[in-house]
Amino acid sequence: MSQQYAALLVVVPLLSALVISIAGLVNKRLCFPIAVAALGVAAYSCIGLLLRVLNEGVIVYKLGGWDPPMGIAYYVDHLNGLVLAVVSVVAFLNLIASKKSIELEMPDKMGAFYALYVLQVTGLLGIVVTGDAFNLYVLLEITALTGYGMLAMGEDRACLSTLNYLYMGTIGACFYLLGVGYLYIVTGSLNMVDIAHLLPPLYQSKAVLAAFIICLVGVWLKMAFFPLHAWLPNAYTHGPSAASSLIAPLVTKVMVYVMIRLILTVFTPDFAFTMLNISEPIVWLAVIAIVMGAILALAQRDLKKMLTYIIVAEVGYMVGGAWLGNRDGMTGAILHILNDALMTLCAFLVVGNIVYKLKGYAFDDLKGLFRKMPFTMGAFVVGALSIIGVPPTCGFFSKWYLISGAIQAGQYGFMVALIFSSLVNVVLFFRIIEIGFFEPFSDHHGHDHHTEEPMAEAPLTMLVPLFIVAAGLVVVGLYTGDIVNYIIRFAVPKGLI
Amino acid sequence: MKIIGLVIAVLSGALLMYATVDFPAWGDPASPASTYLSPHFIEKSMEETSVPNIVTAVLADYRGYDTMYETTVIFSAGLACFILLRVFLREEPGERLYRHVLTGVTVRVEGAKLPLSDDFERIDAMWTPPDLIIKTVCRLLIPFIQLFALYVIAHGHHSPGGGFQGGVILGASIIVLAMSQDLRTAVRRMREKLDAILCAIGVLIYAGAGALCLLLGLNFLDYGALTPVLHCDAITARSHGILIVEIGVGVAVMCTMIWIYCNLSSMGKYDEGL
Repeated sequence: MSQQYAALLVVVPLLSALVISIAGLVNKRLCFPIAVAALGVAAYSCIGLLLRVLNEGVIVYKLGGWDPPMGIAYYVDHLNGLVLAVVSVVAFLNLIASKKSIELEMPDKMGAFYALYVLQVTGLLGIVVTGDAFNLYVLLEITALTGYGMLAMGEDRACLSTLNYLYMGTIGACFYLLGVGYLYIVTGSLNMVDIAHLLPPLYQSKAVLAAFIICLVGVWLKMAFFPLHAWLPNAYTHGPSAASSLIAPLVTKVMVYVMIRLILTVFTPDFAFTMLNISEPIVWLAVIAIVMGAILALAQRDLKKMLTYIIVAEVGYMVGGAWLGNRDGMTGAILHILNDALMTLCAFLVVGNIVYKLKGYAFDDLKGLFRKMPFTMGAFVVGALSIIGVPPTCGFFSKWYLISGAIQAGQYGFMVALIFSSLVNVVLFFRIIEIGFFEPFSDHHGHDHHTEEPMAEAPLTMLVPLFIVAAGLVVVGLYTGDIVNYIIRFAVPKGLI
Repeated sequence: MKIIGLVIAVLSGALLMYATVDFPAWGDPASPASTYLSPHFIEKSMEETSVPNIVTAVLADYRGYDTMYETTVIFSAGLACFILLRVFLREEPGERLYRHVLTGVTVRVEGAKLPLSDDFERIDAMWTPPDLIIKTVCRLLIPFIQLFALYVIAHGHHSPGGGFQGGVILGASIIVLAMSQDLRTAVRRMREKLDAILCAIGVLIYAGAGALCLLLGLNFLDYGALTPVLHCDAITARSHGILIVEIGVGVAVMCTMIWIYCNLSSMGKYDEGL
């Protein structure tokens, strides 16, 4: 069976999503167990696959039994093995944590929502596992469509912000497709590894250059890289908690993975870093992204929106790190995909718990929250420390690699931006901790309660996944050395020093 | 803002045009796209899949995995429309509309139901009965449209056609019914629940066929594995496998078309919208 892990991890969620949508019309209570089982199997296969990759090296899976350039093949190496494990585990934990809030927020349409949820995970896993440039686009479409559907289910303004996201996302996907089309015209192949073999004689071609640029811009649009980020904050803020805590940690990170895959596998580092002299401007763009993300986060008056601007800044970290063009920078970027997925999940699960209990997430709603929801806020502090980058949480280590990569590359602007954004994060999170800890709780009618507020913690199904994630932040931090030595070291090509 | 948009559009257009300089000439037989993989498909697809239509062979077999997800994209679109638009009305307050069949007079009844009879039919909104000519012509056309759709699906192996095209035509036949009569008539023939279930089943047929290959010991979507089930050799099994998935695509596309139409045209209320 382990031969088939690569297929199982997308096929099982896909089939279950279809079964869930049928079950939703028959008996709604069946949907959740099926979804949990499906994502459980997917997570199991992803981890099994990663272990196999660690033992055996790259695994090729031929879909339909056709040899790669004719048919579609999966290539699983250390890079996507790691990202697959992250995506599947995050999606699984979030599913369990979101059960109650889905029941509360959309009792009528649970079946359809779970089906969209599982389809979204199928799409993300498919994007990561595939070795075919066009197949990646098709799965991008699934991810995007299901994402729009889920996010638009949120509060009143969600429809408008999602429409905005839809326009921008569609343009991004079209750009990527156009780039793949250009590559196909000049090489005749869609297989990533095959394209990489065919490209070297064509490096001087203007078509290849244009393909690279439009693919890159398309992917940037999808990952909300500044200044293409405008769709993200509203879309993620107004969406229902279950959807935003799935999409916020995963979609931007998976798109960063796609960018790294394009650089490392399709166009090769030789072309991207050596032939084209664009690393430096892109790193400067990343610097602007980090600084602007941090400043805009400071300007926010509610927790969820503040977190979305932090995502914009974090995307800047990863893009900048990848484009430093050296081993440490790339290691930092890949490590940050893992860390940032966990940190963002932790923060958004906390927001989910707060919304579930308080129906609001503005700063004013958070008063006295440490007394009311001590466990949730405890996990929040761990997440906050990790986003700030305090050891031994994992956020520290990826930042460390990014900063040392910046020094090696001589990009001091990037280093300063990283430190600046960490300092801003300190201000951001300590402001919230202060509000939650010291200001007395006030209920929604505006009367201040000076009496002891009774504890009203979120249900256990929401707390346990949150604790697992919070503990994971520390555990991943402690095992960073192993992750880098056994996985990421092999993910970065040897040519990159 | 408009000027910035214009400048960006012109610049991106210029970039795309600039790149075309290095493209192979239009229709060049020596271009990479026609010399790299195409010869294999042109020469081998018949002997490897026993499908005379190369496009179908590439679409549903060599790159069948993409096509499975294309079908899933369509299914997701239907599901997204459903989740966003569908409103479940509990019971409308007090007022019901009936139409006297013979005279076409609309009657509004407050707070009560008319007894069931052949003279009055329940309607959803102030709506005028469709024109007799349109009604009759459509009624005559629909069976032929559906017959043609089945032909298009079944004949995908030999001529242009296949699941997507046939499914769209099938779906259109029901939509024509809804437009020429009313939504209620169309929904009576294709219930909402049945439609949604069939939509998922269509994709299930495709993905299930692939998963069956996996259970029978070969890779996902390797139709050659269906040999023991279909009692034929591996090459013919590929051809039959393509037919099976084309049927799945047809069902999924047809039902999604109807699903999206019903939700959009009635704003999710499933009453007479247009």
